[in-house]
Parts: sequence; structure tokens; C-alpha cells
Amino acid sequence: MTDRESARERILEAACDLIAAEGIDDVRIARVAMRARASTALVHHYFSTREELLEQALLHSFEKVGEERFAATGGEAPDATAALAEAIEECLPSPGPMERDWVLWVELWLRAAREPDLRPFAASLYARYHDWLEEVLKRGIDSGEFTAPADLRALTDRTMALLDGLGLRALLHDPTMDIDAARAQVADFLAPQLGIDAAALLTQPA
Amino acid sequence: MSPRPSIDHIRRPQILAAAAEVIVERGVAGTRIADVAERCGVSPPALLYWFDSKEQLLAEALTVDDDRFYEELEARVDGAAAPGERMVALIETATESADDFALWMELWTWALRDADLRAARERFDARWRAAIEAIVIDGVATGEFGAADPAQAALAIAALIDGLSAQAALGDPEVTNPRLTETVLASAERLLGAELPAGAGGRASP
Repeated sequence: MTDRESARERILEAACDLIAAEGIDDVRIARVAMRARASTALVHHYFSTREELLEQALLHSFEKVGEERFAATGGEAPDATAALAEAIEECLPSPGPMERDWVLWVELWLRAAREPDLRPFAASLYARYHDWLEEVLKRGIDSGEFTAPADLRALTDRTMALLDGLGLRALLHDPTMDIDAARAQVADFLAPQLGIDAAALLTQPA
Repeated sequence: MSPRPSIDHIRRPQILAAAAEVIVERGVAGTRIADVAERCGVSPPALLYWFDSKEQLLAEALTVDDDRFYEELEARVDGAAAPGERMVALIETATESADDFALWMELWTWALRDADLRAARERFDARWRAAIEAIVIDGVATGEFGAADPAQAALAIAALIDGLSAQAALGDPEVTNPRLTETVLASAERLLGAELPAGAGGRASP
């Protein structure tokens, strides 16, 4: 990685941290620069407006998720059920880096709901997320491990919706449910539709 | 209880309707008390006399929206109707209009960082899930629904509606409102182990 790339990346990472901590609307360029150990001039060199920086920061966060997490998920899992269990894990806001990604995800929902210009971008991220999850399900269908659902696309969309609705509650520390409850719900929803045992999806990856 | 004199019963709904409009347009972050005051024709000090902050305006505007939802639901279906019919009316009422969804997204995002709004979200969600759960309990008791765990089924239905509404609000061309209603109905049938009656919209089979 060249110095130029790493400065840009540092700025984006700093922006993501601040968006997650304070909300997108409160992020100021000067604070991003300070956190990235860069000058505001350098920030402006890479991003002409504050809006551009914030949009690129969200994109950066989801691209990293795509590269590091989605791409690797299940690659080493012994079978499709284990790969699916791992994928479910990747979609829930466990404490740590996943929590930050989740906060950014919710910020993106809100922003895209308000700004039609951002919707194609949000829709493309959703499409990528969809394709990734559908691929995980397809692996098990192709190998004969899962029974094929009537409509794989629809099942994928519903699973994503359930993960988002439950993940949001877990992220907000809903007093009536946590990540474990979310995981169990998703397993109970998916297992009968794939002809597998829900318990098999609850086994923690080693 | 607030020590303040009770607000003019006409003024208060006007202020909250104006607050909802401004917040949907600009977001909580971009909303100023003065904007809301101007929209409803009161002075900013008068508005601040009754509402402490824009966070409070958001919570109260959502309370109005929420109450209206339950009134609409009651007007639509008799509480003594069969559980299946009530479930269809509830899902249709919740999914047919996405106009107010941006306001709920504001709540979710601000609940990440504001304790009062977090508590408000928990209250709204508890009421919502209890409404769904009550129908499931009746449906299981009458045998119209299969053996579902009412609290778990209510959580899954609520989570699905949130996740699918987010997909619709983000302008996913594949998730339109009629499609959203249909998808939730189909998922509810699976979760409840029941065939739900055709709704007011004369739904096509999923």
C-alpha cells in the first residue's frame, strides 16, 4: 500500500469511527482530520465536500465488510450448514467491530431514506449483501445438504429482513432480547425451510 | 408529570404535526426548534415552553403517529373478529403506508445515543409486540393458528416488518409496498402455521 492510499484510508477509517460514535450529522471535518493525524487541507484534497467524505466513508466501511468478511465467510467451513451458521454470525451486531459496522448501516438507512440521491448506492450495497447470502444458501442446496426452497430469492430477502430487524433490536440493547435470541430466531426461521435441524445452525464456529 | 399548564388541545397536535413534517424533511440533526415554530405559527419561546428539545418533539410526534396507527387498526377490524382476520388487518395497516417510516428511522438512529429516545423506542416496541402477541395467543387458543410461541412469533413478525420496510424505504425496486404486505403475510403464515384469510386488498397468493 502506498502512502497516498494509506492517508486516504486513515481518513476514511477516522470518519467511520466518528460517525459510529457521534452520528453522521455531528461529524466535522476538523475532527476527522485530527483523528486521522492529517491536516484539514489533506482531507479536502481527497474529498471536496463533507458530504462526499461521509458517503465515501460509508462505502469504505461496507467494502471492507465485503472484502474481509463476506469473501472469507464459510470458505473454510466443513459444510454448508456450518458456513450458514458463520454467515448468520457475520450479520448480527456482536460487540466489537461488527457493532461499528452496524451503527454505520443504520446511519445509512436513515440517510438514504431522507436523500433519494443515496438510494442507488444503498440499493447496490443491499444487492451485494443479498448475493452473498444467497450464495451461502445455494452452496447447501447444490450439495444436497439443504432442501431447495420454493423461491430462493424471496427466502434470502426475508432472512435479511429478519436479520436486520433483530440485529437492530440487539444493537439498541433491547431488554427483551439479545444476540443469542436473535440467532435462535433466525435459526428457527431458516431451518424448517431448508430441511435441517435448527440446533445445527446454533453451533458456535470453532 | 410536567408542572406546566396543559397545552391548548388544538395547538399541541398542530405543533407535533409540524415537527413530524420538518423532521421527515430535514432529519432531527437538521431541524431547529425555530423551523418547527415557524411551520406551525408559534413563537420559538412558546414552543420551548412546552417542549424541551427536538428529541422530545420526535418522541411525542411518534406517540401521535403510534396512537393513530392503533386507532386506524381498531377502525379497520373489530377486536372480536377471528384472529386470522385481525392478523391480516394488523399486517396490512403496518405495511401499506411507508410515509412515516423516516420518522421511525430517526428514532432508531437517535436511540443509539440518547437514553430517553432509547426508552421511548422500547415502549413503542413493547406495545407493538404485545399487540401482535395478543392475536397469536387468541389464534393458538382457538386452534386457528398452529402451535406457535406467541412472544417469539410476535418478535419475528415485528422484526420482519422493520427489515422489509427498510428495504422498501431505501428504494429497493423489488420491494414495493404491496409486495411488502404480501411478503409479511406469507412469512406470518409460515410462522403461525396457518393460512390467513384474504385481506382487504384481495391479495394474490404469494
